[in-house]
Amino acid sequence: MGSDANSLILEIKGNSLDDGPGIRSIVFFKGCPLDCVWCHNPESKSRNVEISFDSLQCVDCGSCRDICKFSALAKSNPFYIDRQQCQLCFDCVEVCPGNALTRVGQNMDIDTILPRILRDKPFFDNTGGGVTLSGGEPALNMNFVGELLKHLQAEQIHTLLETCGHFDYARFAEKVLPYTNTIYFDLKIMDSTAHKQYCGVGNRLILKNFMRLVKDGADILPRTPLVPGITDTDTNLKAIAEFLSGLGITQCSLLPYNPLWREKCKQIGVPYSFTDSQQHQSWTSAEKKQQCAGIFKKYGIKTI
Amino acid sequence: MGIDKYNLITGSALKLMAFCFNRLPGLRTHLKNSTGWINFSVGIRTEDGGVEQAIIFHEGRVRVSRIIPTDVDVVMNVQDRKVLKEIATVPPNEVLIMMLHNKVILQGNITYLQLFNYYISLLVGGFQQRTLDKIHKQDMTARKAEYSINDQQLSIELKKRHSEHLSADSTEDENVKYLSEPYLAAYSLNDFPRLEHLLEVHLNNRPELCAERPELLTKWYRRHGFEKNKQGSPWQPVLRQGMAFEYLMTNKQPVIAGYQLLAGTTTRNEACGVIVYPDAQGAMAWGELCSISKRHLNPYDISDETRTILNDIFPFWARRNFRELTRTKFNNPLGLQIDERFVAYFCWKSVGLSHTAPDFNSVLTRGTTGIKADIQRQLEIDDIDSTSRDSLEGMLHGLTGLEAYSANLADEARRLAGLENNEERRAELLQMADNCANVPCMPAATLNEAFQSIWATWIGMHMENTNTGLSIGRIDQWLQPYFIADIEKLSTDAQRNAYIKQAIELAGCFYLRLTDHMPLSPDIGNYLFGGSPADQAITIGGMTPEGNDGVNDMTYIFLKVTEMLSLHDPNVNARISPNINSDTYIRRLCEVNYTTSATPSMHNDDAVFASLRQHGYPEEHIRDWCAIGCVEPTISGRHCGHTGSILMNMVAALEMALNNGHHPLMRWDLGPETGTIENFKSFNEFFDAYASQQRFLIANAVALNNMYAEIHASCRPTPFLSAMIDGCITNAQDITWGGALYNTSGSSNIGLADVIDSLLVIKTLVFDMQEITFAELKRAVDNDFKGEPRLHALVQNKVPKFGSGDADALDMAHMVTSLIHGIYAGHTNYRGGPYTAGFWSMSQHVAYGNLSGTLPSGRLAGKAFTPGLTPDPSASKNYLDFITDVAKLKPENMNNNIAFNVKLSPGGEDNRSQLVNTMTGYVKTYCELGGMQMQFNVVDSRVLKDAMANPENYRNLIVRISGYNAYFVSLNKQQQIELIERAEYGI
Repeated sequence: MGSDANSLILEIKGNSLDDGPGIRSIVFFKGCPLDCVWCHNPESKSRNVEISFDSLQCVDCGSCRDICKFSALAKSNPFYIDRQQCQLCFDCVEVCPGNALTRVGQNMDIDTILPRILRDKPFFDNTGGGVTLSGGEPALNMNFVGELLKHLQAEQIHTLLETCGHFDYARFAEKVLPYTNTIYFDLKIMDSTAHKQYCGVGNRLILKNFMRLVKDGADILPRTPLVPGITDTDTNLKAIAEFLSGLGITQCSLLPYNPLWREKCKQIGVPYSFTDSQQHQSWTSAEKKQQCAGIFKKYGIKTI
Repeated sequence: MGIDKYNLITGSALKLMAFCFNRLPGLRTHLKNSTGWINFSVGIRTEDGGVEQAIIFHEGRVRVSRIIPTDVDVVMNVQDRKVLKEIATVPPNEVLIMMLHNKVILQGNITYLQLFNYYISLLVGGFQQRTLDKIHKQDMTARKAEYSINDQQLSIELKKRHSEHLSADSTEDENVKYLSEPYLAAYSLNDFPRLEHLLEVHLNNRPELCAERPELLTKWYRRHGFEKNKQGSPWQPVLRQGMAFEYLMTNKQPVIAGYQLLAGTTTRNEACGVIVYPDAQGAMAWGELCSISKRHLNPYDISDETRTILNDIFPFWARRNFRELTRTKFNNPLGLQIDERFVAYFCWKSVGLSHTAPDFNSVLTRGTTGIKADIQRQLEIDDIDSTSRDSLEGMLHGLTGLEAYSANLADEARRLAGLENNEERRAELLQMADNCANVPCMPAATLNEAFQSIWATWIGMHMENTNTGLSIGRIDQWLQPYFIADIEKLSTDAQRNAYIKQAIELAGCFYLRLTDHMPLSPDIGNYLFGGSPADQAITIGGMTPEGNDGVNDMTYIFLKVTEMLSLHDPNVNARISPNINSDTYIRRLCEVNYTTSATPSMHNDDAVFASLRQHGYPEEHIRDWCAIGCVEPTISGRHCGHTGSILMNMVAALEMALNNGHHPLMRWDLGPETGTIENFKSFNEFFDAYASQQRFLIANAVALNNMYAEIHASCRPTPFLSAMIDGCITNAQDITWGGALYNTSGSSNIGLADVIDSLLVIKTLVFDMQEITFAELKRAVDNDFKGEPRLHALVQNKVPKFGSGDADALDMAHMVTSLIHGIYAGHTNYRGGPYTAGFWSMSQHVAYGNLSGTLPSGRLAGKAFTPGLTPDPSASKNYLDFITDVAKLKPENMNNNIAFNVKLSPGGEDNRSQLVNTMTGYVKTYCELGGMQMQFNVVDSRVLKDAMANPENYRNLIVRISGYNAYFVSLNKQQQIELIERAEYGI
């Protein structure tokens, strides 16, 4: 999280081509009010700094074990780090010669973030690109995000915010919306009980916020991740399409399911209990995506 | 010393060989040619002297001596007995690799070693071939197991790129006058059955060695003398060359290929021939004359007749080629000795001086007749000296030769027309006859004539100059006036549209004619320059000499042809003049690059101009630059820039600095003693040591290049080329003597990113942070980081690399590029001009990488360097960091250009337009930031892996190596792996 002056940032990624128009930089915020079981950025869920271990990068030099004051590191631990013992002092990250042990999340202020983004501005200008705030949930820290967006717009940079929609609308409308050119808004599950089951919270606030944004004329693109058996069911997609068409929305985005989150869970030592089923281990097929798109088409909604 | 078993065995083997050649009539015939017995000797010794034997071929007798005679032609110095044993058991291509690795070091005339190899192949060729076949079969099985992805979709999707097209309107391009839709999206290859057919011929045909050129030349020299004329006086070489060339061109067989619209071929093979230049490096293939058609990488056909002719004429050239003439005249200079160890540098003048572009505009607008008139005027100057007179007369002979050849082509076309039943083809042949009767003798009047004029001249160029990087230049600028003249004569839209289609077809015929010859790469060339065609660079777009937009109708027509045909040659170079050329044009360049996966290469005019201004050329000449060979800029038609004269391995100097002047692989205390590791007190001290070693190697390479240049001038001047280079006629001086208006020599310096990253590790970890001692780092490097996993990870991960966006890394890049440029700038070439520094690598980043040890950067021994000046793939995950860092390098330090290349791998989701727009964004921004040159391979490594295992599905998959294009399947395995491991970014 962080204060108003800074925020916990997971990563600033350049040259992104999939999170909005043109070439973009993405600022990933850490911390999310939702807890979706399939989240493909599980390391962005927690609002606190974490430590990650990637066994593929480890050269087994033992430097980290030698320096650890809390005996938290052992090859016999399931994910190498014993998180009960670890005090997050990051001494091991300091001595790790490779990128096996890494700190997940850095507190950054705007003066740290901006220069790293401005370096790539010529590429935004030539491609109609800009900056995308993603996460986690950027709207968790509205004061900071609002300031950042304001600075970006002052540099003539197109801004885009990706959100789960779970926020206080009044504050959002005041702090964030005025400085956001485009919003990518996730609509995952229409049934509130199921939403609570899979995402940790109900969806009443989310749907309400969506409707308000539409009403207030925001440039908004609804997005639905196609999670096998959970969001990609005919019933759910039809419900979303019906909801959208009721609001006069004619375009939405379907996000193919990304199975790589399971590996990431291991790295940050988060056990995943949700699934080991075969259908959750591969990407959404082109045929499936087309079939889902067909549902929206019936409601006059174009999918991209 | 007692009796050495190995010495006895070696002696016995040679004695057996001598016995066979002395006794068996079938072999004895090979000991002589039409002028007599071939006398030469070959020695073999181990470095400790324990083994010493020589085989001496003299006046038809073969004998073995236990002492190598002092006048021996060539000696193989073998590292030790183990290596000697290996030589006896491994197939011949492995012996070449052992030579590259300095396990076998040659001293003396390599041509005779090739003859010796030829004799060996006569004895045991069958066995050698069976071994090679077996290895090849094992390799293919292993590839299928290791790489095959078995996804048919991959090759299908690649082909599908050819079936979709973007379109545009031409309003943005002020000089596109007649193409309403400049991308020409309405046309596909299947609209041009002629081109489809010729492309099939090109892809299916195996190049064939052709002896015509050397046979005719050797015949003339045998009749008229080479060093001296028949009266016994020394020849004025430039006159002799002109006369021999005229004889060659007059007697060259006029060949008109089926379906072609352009008459003439470089060789007698109408599809693709291999031109032989025994006056250069041609006899390097002697050892392979029996096996070249069966080698597995880039085999060439050879007829029995050609083999017989070459065996007859190679002895004439064995001591008369550039390399041996230089060795003799300069007493085997150190520069040559270093060159022949393969690791430190390669001087291209042993092959040719061809890296230049003639002034086609003069032959197009004035014809040979007009050029001859200029020469005549010079000859009429009263006090002209005899050398000048001979130079000018040499040029006249050259032009007369071209005229005679064209007249023969006209006759042949008419003869074929008489035999032709198909009316349409008969008309084409008659048109060709008319064209050849007119051009290049007279100025061209139509686009068709202009293409014919260029092509016939181009054939002539290659009869005189080696087919290595000889380049065509700004073809769209020269041809646009003919396009306009033709189309203006037509009044209806239908007529004009039909004409545009014809123009595309003609340009396609021209491209396919350019594929009619391949360089005679000996098998060792497959390791050093794998898959390289002749690299005939053409240049399109950019700015006109007056400063206007140079993109015109012909620019887009050539782009269309580039896209449809996806050929490995010509090497298409597109100039981009920021703020002058349109976005429509840049977008089209990117679309063609996407479709073909590898071409064109793109250059920023602003940066190239900045690099050329230091030479003080007038601005209108700078604006008229064209690319040579790979990427190198010279002033079109006015410049002898031998831009590929030195290929320098920068890592060799680094290794020598780490070893106090000793080079580990060469096992040679070669360079100055610049200090041992323990004694460097600061990074600057070590940098100075590196600089000293680099200075030493460059000085030797330059010295050798200048000696070669003197041999070119004194033994093989090129009067025909001289007649078409501005300055040579007015100066009455051959181009090899410095007659051109501008004279430079270009170098390319290979391994830049590897050197920068290694220096950064030394500076940061040893001196700034003092994390490790220099001795510890050196020990780890010498042991290939074995037992030092932590240190290996540290050097690879904890020091920001060039291309990461780190300011210190960029500073180091400035320091090194400025050092290299400065060293070259301090040297003067034989023709009185400066040396230039470039950072591209042909395929030498693979070859040199293979011959270099482990580096402080963590790169392990034998691994390829990065291509050109491309940052290491691990430098940044953000491709924009690469682009921004490379763009910040100073063009002034890179006046022989660069090659910056990554792979872009298209994501399945995006459509063509999005992909092309992203690429356009990269290119435009790179140019705005000041970047000089960039090139993409738009192909992901899965496709390349599949192509390794299933080459038959990818026969025309072109890839960009570093500066040139090649068919992926024609590359050696190391090159293929390097491309797979090259930095790759999703788009």
